[in-house]
Amino acid sequence: MITINEITIVRDGRELIYDYSEQIPAGSITVITGPNGCGKSTLLAAIAGDFPPDKGTITIDGIHPILTSAHDLSKIRAVAKQNQLYSLGFSVREVIEMGGKPDEIIRLLGLEHLANRLVTTLSVGEAQRVSIAQAIAQKTPVLILDEPFAAQDNENRGRVVTVLQQLAREGVTVVVVAHSSEQELTWADKVIKQFL
Amino acid sequence: MRELKKSLIALNILLVFVAVFIALSVGPTKIDGFFQQLMQPGSNEILWQIRFPRVIAAVIVGAAFGVAGLMAQGASNNALAEPSILGTSSGAALGAVIAILFGLAQVGSIAATISGVIGALLATALTLKLASLRGNLSSFALIIVGIALSATLSAIVGLTSAMITQADARSISFWNFGSLALITYENLVGVAATTLIGLGIAWKVAPSLDRLSFGDDTAFHLGINVVKARWLALVALSLLAGGAVSTVGIIGFIGLAAPHIARFIYGPSHRLLVIQSALIGSLIIVFADTLARSIAAPNELSIGLITSLLGAPILIALVSIKNNVWRVQ
Repeated sequence: MITINEITIVRDGRELIYDYSEQIPAGSITVITGPNGCGKSTLLAAIAGDFPPDKGTITIDGIHPILTSAHDLSKIRAVAKQNQLYSLGFSVREVIEMGGKPDEIIRLLGLEHLANRLVTTLSVGEAQRVSIAQAIAQKTPVLILDEPFAAQDNENRGRVVTVLQQLAREGVTVVVVAHSSEQELTWADKVIKQFL
Repeated sequence: MRELKKSLIALNILLVFVAVFIALSVGPTKIDGFFQQLMQPGSNEILWQIRFPRVIAAVIVGAAFGVAGLMAQGASNNALAEPSILGTSSGAALGAVIAILFGLAQVGSIAATISGVIGALLATALTLKLASLRGNLSSFALIIVGIALSATLSAIVGLTSAMITQADARSISFWNFGSLALITYENLVGVAATTLIGLGIAWKVAPSLDRLSFGDDTAFHLGINVVKARWLALVALSLLAGGAVSTVGIIGFIGLAAPHIARFIYGPSHRLLVIQSALIGSLIIVFADTLARSIAAPNELSIGLITSLLGAPILIALVSIKNNVWRVQ
């Protein structure tokens, strides 16, 4: 369970999120949608513990991410950010392995044919799936994905959704930011709409 | 794969031994009965008092400059970073020169090494601080600030070394271009210690640098304490470059070339690169120093000229064969 308690986040002098509270249930898929610039990704980053909210608190199962060491936090939540860029020529398998055991997730996300490719040679969509695979390989109770479908075709989008549903059934709390143009969110257990 | 990696490491170690052997046997003075003299430590003065410490110094500083470059590139996630560009080398030279000016140290002494390491650390930290004044560390700002700070510190080294009257203080060309000509066994103690400690820290921080290549936020998400990892790499960089520069002066290009050559051949994993950058750095410096002292014997050429002549064509050839090892964002 992720508890967001009366948080306010100010960016560049603008109150992006004001006095906001929410509960994200464990073992479910929660989708945060809303127009560009409404603070979806900012909210996600705050949940991930990237920075503290200016007011209020966020807890994951009673733990404060910002008070937890990077190492301990990586056992609690995993994050796949939007537009992951790879500068060094590791293979896809090596990159996923830095999250955890790679074989199963490579199979589930249909990355077998890419496993030995260098990540520096991938398309945007392929790099995004590698980033998602790395986060899932961490096998954390909370999985946070920022726009995971932005560069995916329907087939790969379906693959990712199937894996997320499977993880939720296994008790993982999945939080996803999706663009407001996402029409079909039937696979989500809960949809949070952020407004400007 | 693991076996292949071990074989490649063994091959490079063998190459370094061959290079050392050739370096010991070549020089302006021919050594009669070279093999016999080699079997009897101390027997021949030129072999054991001049060439041996010099060749060992070449192995040590080659490894130090090679891994210093790797740490600079890894910590800044920037393909162009190296000790000379981040201000580390000129900071080390200035630290050593100031200690010599005030009579606190002699060239190659442990005190000079310590001053060099402190100078290296302060200069590198200053470059990073100035490059990240506007928030995130920008690659562009890092290189521009580093080059500017290096130029400033080098100028101060020039001015300061001109004020030194001690006979053994070394010239401005020593500090700017490097030389292994006057190395003694005593000089090896400090640089061997800083290099060993630096290599140890580099080995320890290497897996974090793999993850740092994904960007600070992803590294943090994977459990890396980004600030600590970057500082550890910078301490390793300062120990390696500081110790080497305070002993043999600034030998440019090797810090850029050795890790890139290693990365092209062996891939980006930093643990493997710590070993291979060290071995390739040693190999290039041992060969370069041998050429520097034998091409125009009895005159010596600047070692920096030879490292550039040796390293640059290899680097250019590798880039033209394979250009997906480091994608600049």
